[in-house]
Amino acid sequence: MARVITITSGKGGVGKTTTTANLGTALAMQGAKVAVIDADIGLRNLDVVMGLENRIVYDLVDVVEGRARLRQALIKDKRLPELCLMPAAQTRDKDAVSPQQMIELTNQLRQEFDFVLIDSPAGIEGGFRNAIAGADEVVIVTTPEVSAVRDADRIVGLVEAAEKGPPHLIVNRIKPRLVSRGEMLSVEDVLELLAINLIGIVPDDEAIVTSTNRGEAVVYDQGSLAGRAFLNVARRLGGEDVPFMAITDQQGVLEWLFGMIGRRRS
Amino acid sequence: MGFFDSMFGRRRDRSAQVAKERLATVLVDDRYKLTPEMKEQMKLDIAEVLARYLPSVDPDQIEVTLMRGEANDHLKADIPLRRASSDM
Ligand SMILES: Nc1ncnc2c1ncn2[C@@H]1O[C@H](COP(=O)(O)OP(=O)(O)OP(=O)(O)O)[C@@H](O)[C@H]1O
Ligand SMILES: [Mg+2]
Repeated sequence: MARVITITSGKGGVGKTTTTANLGTALAMQGAKVAVIDADIGLRNLDVVMGLENRIVYDLVDVVEGRARLRQALIKDKRLPELCLMPAAQTRDKDAVSPQQMIELTNQLRQEFDFVLIDSPAGIEGGFRNAIAGADEVVIVTTPEVSAVRDADRIVGLVEAAEKGPPHLIVNRIKPRLVSRGEMLSVEDVLELLAINLIGIVPDDEAIVTSTNRGEAVVYDQGSLAGRAFLNVARRLGGEDVPFMAITDQQGVLEWLFGMIGRRRS
Repeated sequence: MGFFDSMFGRRRDRSAQVAKERLATVLVDDRYKLTPEMKEQMKLDIAEVLARYLPSVDPDQIEVTLMRGEANDHLKADIPLRRASSDM
């Protein structure tokens, strides 16, 4: 049974596209057939993060409007033959697609893939509605900041109202050193506030900058903390019970353990 | 509170703690769609009702806060009373 999972956030710039690219890649590395869809119409980005921008001929709107067949618009990943990207249209706006069309599109993709990951635009309006329309599950990304957490909570309410089941949470860009000094919300704080199921903790990591520069997923960089964190999220999505890793700060002086959080997950 | 906290507790609160407390309030306000204007009106109404029993309530002193709890959320109202004079 295919699973359609939308990655969303409320606040912009917290890491949805980075998460989609890396989870898609990680799931494909683990042997699944994966399609990633860029639903951020007008602000196409997933293609450049995955290094596939030169291969685009058709896009999501072309498919929805019947100018291209699904197969023609799906771009194969450079390294992983079982990973495909459906790019967003760059010259149209969010109203070019309706929720009903998104449902039809995802239903077609279900036939051929194990996972369909949808990269949602920021916000709580049309683009977000389109992105969750065809989803079975929702992953909410937040950073440990007041505005991002607040917006994530709005999304939690909307996801629950849309009856998508309990959303999963990824806390991205954690800076362990700041957390241990009490100057950044901890994962536990965020969990306590949002009260949803944690599926990933991703540290703020320079490796994301360098791999994004190259158009490669950071999960290929197995030495990087962010890469390992995303690989773990992918395994948890697959149903494995993977303990949350200890994120040690750069100087290795202060350790940051997640045993308590691990036990909190029910 | 750990040793670390108690040592530095006299200084300003850690910003993460401040952030958490601010969020705890703002999230519940968002969820219950409680605007600052509604809170102001609620204080006036509370003072009006209480005035039937306690003439010494000052609506400007009332603080109304929605708090998140484990099972339930709570509405906390802090209502200071002007001290009754001792020769009463
Ligand atoms: N864990 C991380 N460590 C370091 N940089 C990160 C991390 N996660 C994301 N970034 C960077 O933050 C920026 C925003 O990330 P991204 O584009 O994935 O966010 P987004 O939520 O998709 O944004 P938008 O709302 O604009 O679509 C990018 O430059 C990305 O490389
Ligand atoms: Mg994005």
